[in-house]
Order: sequence, then C-alpha cells, then structure tokens
Amino acid sequence: MSDTGDRAGVNRREFLATVAAAHGAFVLGFWVPSRANAQTVRATNWYEEPATPEINAWIVVAPDDTVTVRIAQTELGQGVWTSNAMMVCEELQCDWKKVRPQYASANRDAREKAPAWTLNVPGEGATDPKGGGEPTFGNRDPKGVSGIPDSLYRRMRTNAASSVKDGRYYLQLAGAEARERLLLAAAALWNVPVTELTAKDSVIRHASSGRTTSYGQIAPRAAQTPHPHPEQIRIKPPDQWTLMGTEQKNLDVPAKVTGETIYGIDIRLPGMKWAAVKTCPVYGGDVKRYDFDVVRNMPGVRSAVQFPIPDPALTRGRVFSGGVAVIADTWYQAKTALDKMPVEWTIPPEHAAFNSTNMHAALVAALDRPGTVRANQGDVDAGFAKAARIVEATYSTPYLPRARMEPGNATVLVTNDRVDIWIGDQSPQETRFSAAKITGLPETNVHLHLCHLGGGFGRNGNGPQAEHAIMIANANRGVPIHMLWTREEDFIGTTYRAMGVARLKAGLDADGWPIALDVRTAMQEGGFGPEASFHVTSRYFVPNYRYSNHTTKFHVPVGTRRGVGQAAHEFYRESFIDELAHAAGKDPYRYRRELLARTNLPYKADMIKALDLAAEMSGWGTPLPKGTARAIALEERGTEGNGSATVSAMVHTVSVSREGKVKLERVDVAHDTGFGLVNPLSVKKQIEGQITWFYNDAMHQACSIADGRIVENNFNTFPISRIDEDPPVINIRFFPTSHWLIGMGHDRATSVESAIGEAIFQITGKRLRDLPYSRHDLKWS
Amino acid sequence: MPFDLTINRTVHHVDADPQTPLLWVIRDHVGLTGTKFSCGIGQCGACTVHVDGRPVRSCSVPASTAIGKPVLTIEGLSRDGSHPIQVAWKEFDAPQCGYCQSGMIMSTLALLQQRPSPSDADIDAQVRNVCRCGTYHRVRQAVYLAADLMKKREVKP
Repeated sequence: MSDTGDRAGVNRREFLATVAAAHGAFVLGFWVPSRANAQTVRATNWYEEPATPEINAWIVVAPDDTVTVRIAQTELGQGVWTSNAMMVCEELQCDWKKVRPQYASANRDAREKAPAWTLNVPGEGATDPKGGGEPTFGNRDPKGVSGIPDSLYRRMRTNAASSVKDGRYYLQLAGAEARERLLLAAAALWNVPVTELTAKDSVIRHASSGRTTSYGQIAPRAAQTPHPHPEQIRIKPPDQWTLMGTEQKNLDVPAKVTGETIYGIDIRLPGMKWAAVKTCPVYGGDVKRYDFDVVRNMPGVRSAVQFPIPDPALTRGRVFSGGVAVIADTWYQAKTALDKMPVEWTIPPEHAAFNSTNMHAALVAALDRPGTVRANQGDVDAGFAKAARIVEATYSTPYLPRARMEPGNATVLVTNDRVDIWIGDQSPQETRFSAAKITGLPETNVHLHLCHLGGGFGRNGNGPQAEHAIMIANANRGVPIHMLWTREEDFIGTTYRAMGVARLKAGLDADGWPIALDVRTAMQEGGFGPEASFHVTSRYFVPNYRYSNHTTKFHVPVGTRRGVGQAAHEFYRESFIDELAHAAGKDPYRYRRELLARTNLPYKADMIKALDLAAEMSGWGTPLPKGTARAIALEERGTEGNGSATVSAMVHTVSVSREGKVKLERVDVAHDTGFGLVNPLSVKKQIEGQITWFYNDAMHQACSIADGRIVENNFNTFPISRIDEDPPVINIRFFPTSHWLIGMGHDRATSVESAIGEAIFQITGKRLRDLPYSRHDLKWS
Repeated sequence: MPFDLTINRTVHHVDADPQTPLLWVIRDHVGLTGTKFSCGIGQCGACTVHVDGRPVRSCSVPASTAIGKPVLTIEGLSRDGSHPIQVAWKEFDAPQCGYCQSGMIMSTLALLQQRPSPSDADIDAQVRNVCRCGTYHRVRQAVYLAADLMKKREVKP
C-alpha cells in the first residue's frame, strides 16, 4: 500500500488545498497535510491509509464510530457514492449518520485479490429475491471491460447503469462479513455465544447481561478476528431491508453547494505545470509540423510536446488523433500560446471526404444490403403479400457527444518508478493499464487518486483524456502535468453515439393490426447497442417478424453514450407504433396495450401495468386545449427474456404554439422497482435528469460532419436546454415487479423523443422522422 | 503586471496579465476552485461570479474589469453551507454531478437580490445556467425555498 510513500520531499498524500487558500493565502503552493484539515478531508475522496486497521477492504471503523466505506465506482452525479454505501451499511447495521465514503484504491486493486467469499453471485439469478441478482458483467475479465475481474475491488468501472445491479451482492456481503466479525469479536471479549448478541446503529448489545460496546471500540479486535465460514454468510433480501429502499439524500451534495468538492480540474500540486492540447480535428489525422519557436517566449511558456494517435489497444480499438501540447505555468498561458502556435496536420484524405450528407446516404444504402439478422420469425414476405395495407417509414438520428460539463483533464506525475494520476475516471482499471503500457512501468506502480466527475454519461466520454495526459507527463518525467482540454477539444476527445437510420415496414390486416414487420437499422461498424429494443422478438405482437442490422465504415469513434442503443432504437420503435396506430385509426395507448397483451413475453404484464399506470396518471383521454397533445411510449430493457429487466412507460403532454415553439408541459412516469430500489430518491433524480437528457436529444442536439470534422463543438452551436424548457410537472410513480432491475441510469425517458414527435404530428399534422425537431419548421395554423 | 482584487471581502495581490479572464485569475492565481470552467465562451454559466453585485460569466471578462470592485464567488456565500440558497439546495438534494451548481447558485443569488419573490418567468429569465445532468426541476423548487428562507431569516443576500 505504497499510496503513502514519500519521494523527493513530496508527500503525495498532501496536496494543494485550494479551498484553504481562500483564507488569506494567495500564493500557489500552499500545502495542507490531508488529515490535518477537516475541510480538506471532506472535499477530497481518494483512498487513504486508515489510522485504524480495516475490517475488510471496504470498511474501516474509527474509534469514534465513523465508518469509512470504500467505493469502487465513480460518483458522477448518479448517486453511487450514496447507494454503494447504503448497500454496505444495510448489512453492517451501523449508524448511517457516521458513514464517510472514500474511493477504493485502484493500486491495491492491482496488488490484491478479492476475498473468495465475494467471487460468486449467491442465489438463483434475476427472479430470486433472496439472491444477488444477475449481473450484466458476470463473466471474468481481468481488465474489467467486458466482465468482472477477480482483483480486490472487483469491478471498478462505472457504466451501463450497472453499479447497483452488479455490485450489490458483494457490497452487501462486505457489510455482512464485517458485521459478523464485529459480533464475533464482542462475543469473544465477553465470552458469550455470538447468537446472544444483537447489532444496531453501531452498537452491540448482550441483552441478558446488559453489556454494550460500540463498533468503534470493538473494531481493532474485529480486524484481528477472521470469520470461520465467510462463504456461509447470507445477504438480506428486500423484505428485511431497513436502510436500502429508503430515500437518502446524497452524501456528496453538501460539498457541492459550497464549491468545496475537488474535481479532477481542481487538482493543484507543487511544481505542477499546465498543458493545453490541440489534436487533429479529423480523426486518424496527426501532426505534420508545428513551430514552437513562434510562442516559446510568451509568458509562462515552458515547452511543447508532440504525441501520437493513442494506441488503439488502450482505447478499445478506437482511432482518435495525434496532437501537440504546450506546457506553461498556467493553463491560460498554455492555451493562449497554443492558439498562436502554427500547427499543420496530416489528414487522411478518405476521412476528410466524409460529410453528414454522404454518411447519411451511405447508411440508407446499407439498409438495402444484407445485414446481421437478429430475429426472423414466420414469413415476413408472405405477411406483406397478405396485408391489407403497407406502412413504411425511415428515421434518422445524428451523431451525439456527451458534452459533460467538466472538460477532459488529468494530472499526471511520472517518475522512473511510479505513476500518480489524479483524475475523475469511470474506468480506473483501464486507465491503470494505459499508464503501465505508456510508461513501461508495472500496473502495481500506478496510483490513481480518484476525483468526482463533472458529468460522465459514458466512460469519461470513452475518450483518451488519461492517455493524452500520461503521454505528455511521460515526456516530462518528474514534473506534475495537469492536462486540460478546451471545450472544443472535448468534442474531439469524446466518442459519439453513432449516427443511425432505420427503416420500418409493416403490413397491417384489415383491422389495422400488424401481420408482418420488417425492421432494419444501420449504424457504422462498432456502433453500440445494435441489438437494442428489437432483438430476439418483437415487443409488440406480430406473427411475422424480421430484424436486421446493417453497417458501413466511418472514421468517427463511437462509444457508449448515455442511452446506448435504446435511445435511438426506442425512438424508431415507438414512433413507428404511433404511426401504425394512426394508420389503423386506433388510440396509441390502447393499440400498444393490445399488441403487448397478444405476446407471450414473460414481462408483458409489467409492461401493460406501466402503460396503464402512466395513462391513468396523465388523465389520458381527457380533453386538452388546442395546440396541446399527449403521447405515450414504452421503455424497456430485458423484456425479450426472463432475466433482469427494467420497465417504464411515460406520457408526455406537449404543446406547440402556432409560431412553432415546443413546450414539454408535463411528464407522467410509471416505473418498475423490481424487487427493490436501493435509493428511490436517486432513482427519481436520475429519471428527472434523463427527461432533460433525451429532451435535448429530441429537440436540439446534433453534431454534423464536414470535411471529416465535427462541426458543432461548443454550446453556441450545440445547444443545451435551460431551466425554462424543463417540464413544469413531473409525476413519478413506482410499482413493484418480481425481478431484479437491469439498471435505470441511462436508458429511461427515451420516450421523450418519440412522444414529442407524436405530439407535433397531432398538433401540426407534420410527421417528422429525423432528430432534432428544432431543425424543422413547426409552425401551424 | 501585478494588481489587487477584492474577492469575498479579502484583498488578493495578483501577479498576472490583467487581460487574463477573471475565471483563471480566480482559479489559478487566487486558488479558489469552486468557480468552474466549462465552455470558455460565456455560454454555460459554470463560471458565474458576482462583480460589483452583478452576475458575470467570468470566463469571458478580463480580470482588469474587476479591479476596484468587490468580487463574490461561491466560496464567499458561506463556508459551512448555511446560506439559505445552499440550505435549500441541500433540502431538495438538487445537485447531481454538481459541476454547474456553483454558477447556478450564484445566478440564483443575483435573481433573489433583484426579486425576493421571483415568479417562474423570473427564474426562467435569469437562471440561464446549463446543467447537463438535468437538475432543473429540483433547482426551481430550491429557488422558491431559498426565497422563503431568505425572507424568514431576513438574510441580506
């Protein structure tokens, strides 16, 4: 545990506490030992050696009963800092008011193996309320990319709405193991059977003798008391939860309203220099030449570093760009010099030939080429031949970045024997691997000091912020380098949700019910979530069904943006169901309901329940003023099978003024809880946030490509809604279901996209099939 | 060229080019990092501070414009989170990632200084900060609670 080691007079557990500098110090380099300043401890969250022995790798109890819970996922606003701690503390039965989360050590994770009792998921899978559920990343993978490692903290990734779902069993086990050892230690101390002891709110009682002790008092003994059979420890099922399932405010919020929270961008180290970066705006391009001499005498400027295209082996095959960094005393100096420094690029001509128009045409053309068939039931062509009516529609969705608020950054210090990285990072195990590969040092010598993220929305944008910073720092060994992207650079350094098109064709019988459905979607190779929402079988009943994916090759790196495949695919699916309902002359809610009822899907009752509840909440069918309409949509993941699933339905009440101004007036949400939500308050916040997220996708956001470059690269051309566009009314109701959730942090509220389109159609008569809607003329009379 | 800035009632002697945007002087020369950088073009409001009692996008004004005028940042509201706006924010658990919230709170402060009993339209017009997490729904409720708390406590914003 060499996070504590000293080197060259720098104790790396000290750092520049900028908040402390507010109290009169104006000189950079004001250092505060981290444990000496309570504000400092509150503002930062990275791993520290405990003053008292840990009970297990997740839990340290201090003499004053403060419980430190190590968190292996990253807090980026989704509430994992709180929900992970709740899962541990439910079992630990400690005083929740005395819980202090702290990031788990990615370095220890490289050195130590996970306890054997955390390795196997207890129970019988997704439909066993007593068990650990059905993790999304259940298979073993040392890098933690496609599965879960056996290393100490298991899965340190934060993605796919899986933090609660995948971590619950071993976090509950960690709390339970510690509780049992605290009880065993007290039993040994008092020489009584452990079965006579109870634990609650950090106090252990022996009822017959009246003796009590606190967790803080007994913790040093518990640390020395192994459990004889940890594999026999069971986790609490939801009907025994007392903390999990209750609304808990997020533990990180108080420091976020005072400005104290230290994000990656706020890191300051003695001797630290700043790096501003410019990479080739066409992916796959590189630096041809640059002229540092032009700027070398500008104030504060130190040096320039050219770096290559990050090794695709470190970026999961994605090809970004090569670039150049200017290093200076302050970032503004570095950026100012970089703006003036002549840089020429080597741009692959085949990449520069791409633009939105020819890319869209290539995707549409791909629809007519053979694709990967993911479902083929009955005889679709025979169904079309028998149909009374054919309905066909083609939909389009643009490239979309995360545009998280905190631009990509990392602070890196490389020496000849170790790497220290201060970063907000959704995938520290991968970053650890990158640092080792770039510097040639072993992963066990890489130390990550994790910070909260100013937004995530998909592994740090899946971009090479860490790799850039490590390459620059590796060329400046011994000097801490804080690399920070401009907003414009952040639009190059992110991965995009792939541009997509879909063609849906249905044959309807004389009563308007579908008898054949052919769904074709197209994205570039590597686009994420091609199977989403349509694979295996149709969610809406149709006897003859075919679903195929079609691809072509583009140069834009694509990744797992919030919503992944569901966001576009549910837009296609739900928009088309609305079109079919109108073609059939039927109510879109009743039409959906009937088509769900006709299926054999295991969770069809849950989906019908969601539709019914949302419709009822919204006053479906009651009159609305002219210019206002309601639209309903189903949101689901996992309902093609009988494992984990999440089911919700939303009704969106939307107005369109005669001048074409769209207002989302009200959202009624019916959302399933599965066997239980860990923190329902966080779930509500995530639903509210995703309504805004997908509202922006629906109304405003698109990145286009010109000459191979991303065109919209700041908030003037890539608009983000403000508070005036927030729906005045959001009603959320939960209903219980009999399965564990598949997650809810990224693909809820996709319905905003189809629903606004449906409402625009009802009000204006215009059926719009390509996003965003604000690029269309929405006036009506 | 050294100059003095009065930030949160403390005079700071700054050795920087006065044309440096106020944001970077606050963050990198004075060392107050609660004020955030996000777009750099005055669009998103993450960098909002008050200069002479008015909200400004500090990424887009030179530090020289603040010489001789009081500057207020999130750190000047209260150190312990006791300011009514901060209390209201905590009550509604408003922040998610939190990165935009310093600016959001500073815009709210400016709003409530002008309009102690704001309407929805006032909020829409003056709290123009971007939040990518989508906290607007809770922020609006928190603004109303903050207005009530400020009146009850007779706090001068």
